Amino acid sequence: MTAIERHMRPALTTPMVTGGLLLAVFLVGLVVSLTPLGGLATAAQSLLAPASGTAGLVLHYSWWPRLCMALLAGGALGLAGVLMQQVLRNPLASPTTLGVASGANLALMTATLLAPGLLVAGREWVALGGGAIAMALVFSLGWRRGLSPGVVVLGGLVVNLYVGALAMVLLLFHQEELKGLLVWGAGSLAQNGWDSVAYLAPRLAIAGFAAVWLIRPLALLELDDASAKSLGVSLKWLRLGGLGLAVFITGCVVSVVGIIGFIGLAAPNIMRLAGARRLKARLLGSVLLGALLLATTDLLLQGFSGKLPTLIPTGATTAALGAPLLLWLIPRLRLTARRPPSASRTESHRHPMPGRLMLILAILIAGIAVVGLTLGQGVEGWGLALDPAVLEWRWPRILAAAGSGVLLAVAGTLIQRVTANPMASPELLGISGGAAIALIITLFLVQGPSNLMLVGAGTLGALVTLGVLVALNHASGFQPERLLLCGVAITALFDAVRSIVLAGGDPRGQQVVAWLSGSTYYVDPTSALVVLASALLFALATQPLGRWLDILPLGAATARALGIRVEGARFALLALVALLTAGATLIVGPLSFVGLLAPHMARMLGFSRARSHMAGAALLGALLMVTADWLGRQLLFPEEIPAGLVASLIGGSYFMWGLRKL
Amino acid sequence: MTVSPPSLRRTLRFARSLLRAMMPRSTRRCATGRLATPVGTALATPGALAVPLFLALTMSASPTLAGPRIASLDWTLAETLIALGAPPVALAQTGDYASWVGHPAPESVIDMGLRSQPNLELLASLAPDHIVISPMFANLAPRLSAIAPVQTFSMYTPGEAVWPELESLTRKLGELSQRQAAAERLIEEAGNDIDALAARLPTATRPLLVVQFMDARHVRVFGANSLFDAVMSRLGLDNAWQQPTNAWGFSLAGLERLVSLDEARLVVVEPYPAGVAEALTTSGLWQHIGSVERGDVVTLPPVWSFGSLPSATRFAGFLATALSTDSAPAQVTTETDHDSH
Repeated sequence: MTAIERHMRPALTTPMVTGGLLLAVFLVGLVVSLTPLGGLATAAQSLLAPASGTAGLVLHYSWWPRLCMALLAGGALGLAGVLMQQVLRNPLASPTTLGVASGANLALMTATLLAPGLLVAGREWVALGGGAIAMALVFSLGWRRGLSPGVVVLGGLVVNLYVGALAMVLLLFHQEELKGLLVWGAGSLAQNGWDSVAYLAPRLAIAGFAAVWLIRPLALLELDDASAKSLGVSLKWLRLGGLGLAVFITGCVVSVVGIIGFIGLAAPNIMRLAGARRLKARLLGSVLLGALLLATTDLLLQGFSGKLPTLIPTGATTAALGAPLLLWLIPRLRLTARRPPSASRTESHRHPMPGRLMLILAILIAGIAVVGLTLGQGVEGWGLALDPAVLEWRWPRILAAAGSGVLLAVAGTLIQRVTANPMASPELLGISGGAAIALIITLFLVQGPSNLMLVGAGTLGALVTLGVLVALNHASGFQPERLLLCGVAITALFDAVRSIVLAGGDPRGQQVVAWLSGSTYYVDPTSALVVLASALLFALATQPLGRWLDILPLGAATARALGIRVEGARFALLALVALLTAGATLIVGPLSFVGLLAPHMARMLGFSRARSHMAGAALLGALLMVTADWLGRQLLFPEEIPAGLVASLIGGSYFMWGLRKL
Repeated sequence: MTVSPPSLRRTLRFARSLLRAMMPRSTRRCATGRLATPVGTALATPGALAVPLFLALTMSASPTLAGPRIASLDWTLAETLIALGAPPVALAQTGDYASWVGHPAPESVIDMGLRSQPNLELLASLAPDHIVISPMFANLAPRLSAIAPVQTFSMYTPGEAVWPELESLTRKLGELSQRQAAAERLIEEAGNDIDALAARLPTATRPLLVVQFMDARHVRVFGANSLFDAVMSRLGLDNAWQQPTNAWGFSLAGLERLVSLDEARLVVVEPYPAGVAEALTTSGLWQHIGSVERGDVVTLPPVWSFGSLPSATRFAGFLATALSTDSAPAQVTTETDHDSH
């Protein structure tokens, strides 16, 4: 079909060897984990009824159900992955990509806090319901565009981030109540009976039959829309059916064993690379491979966990192991139908007087800043404060919020113009994720770290991430899509590290959550001034780059024809983006939509040339962050919602609203 | 296209009602009370003037505030201060303190927000004499010290014996709150109470396994360097969990790791997370754990597992009562007399 796949066909021996190797590791894992429990013979005896002694009990009630569960869950996730990738024609779609897992997670958190009775009635149904609602939200965002692949993936991403931000708020305020859910959320396969297997098996059997029945119509989706339609297939309903089935499977698995990353993404892709072209072959292969991958990982982890004071959750571990594999896969994937639609681009108009618009924005910022500075709550309620003793605590936060808003907005404008993709954002490059991983590690390795040390570690993490990005993308000339995908992989790694750390239940987790949710809380006057000054400096320094930024979105060929060294320009701009993102991440955390939102809004307001676009976005970014900071300080007084989270909640709502109309 | 204000406002209102619905009930009540204050009246009395007045009123109302005014970020330190009769002026997360430590803080204590991010403006306006923290919040110290001198107290330092460290912590807090006598009394009474309880215990008891459920499949098992372990060894009881523990004295483990400790008697510290008690009745593994089969599982009311001497005495009291009645699962309602101090 394509050059890559034709090239892969003759090399069928490689997949055979790899498969054999995996099987061998699986068998070794089996033997190793059985040795302390009395070996294969006792295990076989204990399958149907426990053999005598504790080993028999553990084998019958824990070891066997756990193995079955790993095989079942792995296979099911592989199946769900194939279905989603087929329907969305996107090799990077997966059960976790579309918001199902995070929706289930949020539903369980909410139920734990508000209606624990529901959990007694059936936590599976709560999880399934949450996953279905999140998925329905994603569908409704893409419905007007006939569930077109790009919009669905984008919607999934936004819903994931949004739901994740809500979950983070709950976690920040209720860590003690939610600590059990953190273990679940990191995906543990531990079993203490056959109940869960008995719950999952029949449901997956039904789903399996449905999938077999859908193979023929789904294979038609490999054609383009027009040809498929001419064969009399209702694309909307077919997609809905395929995705719905995948969601059901994911929901069932997630509700029982928690969030298991990566299997649903990797198994189908490995099968594809191994040369399985027909849908039927990919389906069967992915189910087997998924089952084997998860079971092997789990067996190996079981061996480790016994020696540690904490438990290493399998789901997060597969996700962590999967990130490097994903980075390796990206250069080897076909990426055709991936680019999301750039409809908003055609809509945009040019404002006749961008100068006046900027002035209005600046006045608005000043107004909000004055409100944020003076109006607030104290011991006795709302009040207007002019006392320097109070203002002293507020002004650094406002300056830092404005500064980080500017940094993110400028970074966002740069990356959206470099990639010619209005949906790109600096958070997606993974630089924030890299900085956050470094912060987590520092918090756990150093007793009582100082703020300076944390800032240093964060910057180092951002730089290392940038290094990885450069190393991986140098050969492909910093191709925009691949770059963003690398970012997705690094973000996945960050999610995994966070889950593992939080699942351990260490009280320091609270601090990690506080840091990661991104607050202007830790800013002192000096660093506030530094942030704002550097933000303004960067905003001015990027102004001379206007020519590059006007021309690059027109495509590499045009840019080259106009005398720009495309790769050099892209590299320089990306380095700048990394620096800006690292700076902002340290203040407002890895979660925020400002880098996505501010450039987008600026374009909608009519800032169309690169220079004014950047300036407009910077102003909007500052406005958003200052507003978010003030709201965050007041909404739940005396508790504070971090500005980064408020910004993502505001930004996410706006973005979903905009996407619905796309 | 620009964003339309009504839809944005609607979204915000929704988000806000959602957040409010999820707040603990006590916080909600107090927050709505504050919001109901008309902005007009608040504007008429500038905050800076009203605060000292407000404080003067509360101070004259409660005689316990005679000593230095201390703000505490940490629940363990707050628990000790309250037991010393010198409750902090402000405490982080008072609502959660009540549910996890087991009894509410006195009415006069002001909630200053999250432990990891106390509200600095609020704290500054209260102008405490001292702020006490644990090393976990060391990164806040530079900022907090702009408000009042910050004292850091370590507890559960790995490699140090738990009980002596808690005693010295109590002494230091006694000095800080100028209640040295109360501190000595607390230490002595805690020791005496536990020794008295130890004397009442049946002589031959099985080794114990103290766990707290995370979900139906995972438990925290308390071992070396935990409060529960320290209390048990003072009571002369054996801890069956000899595996490595983390810096806070517990291991996170799947239920299957408890099966091999067949001889041990299980002590479950409440609360059970929602749905767990029900799930356990059908759990094959749980039903076959030695202690469950024998029917001698002990269930204790919630105790702050990273607490100080008051929590220790609470735990000792609950445990001793449950073990002496020796009929499982014991319903323990008696409170040790330290809570009333």
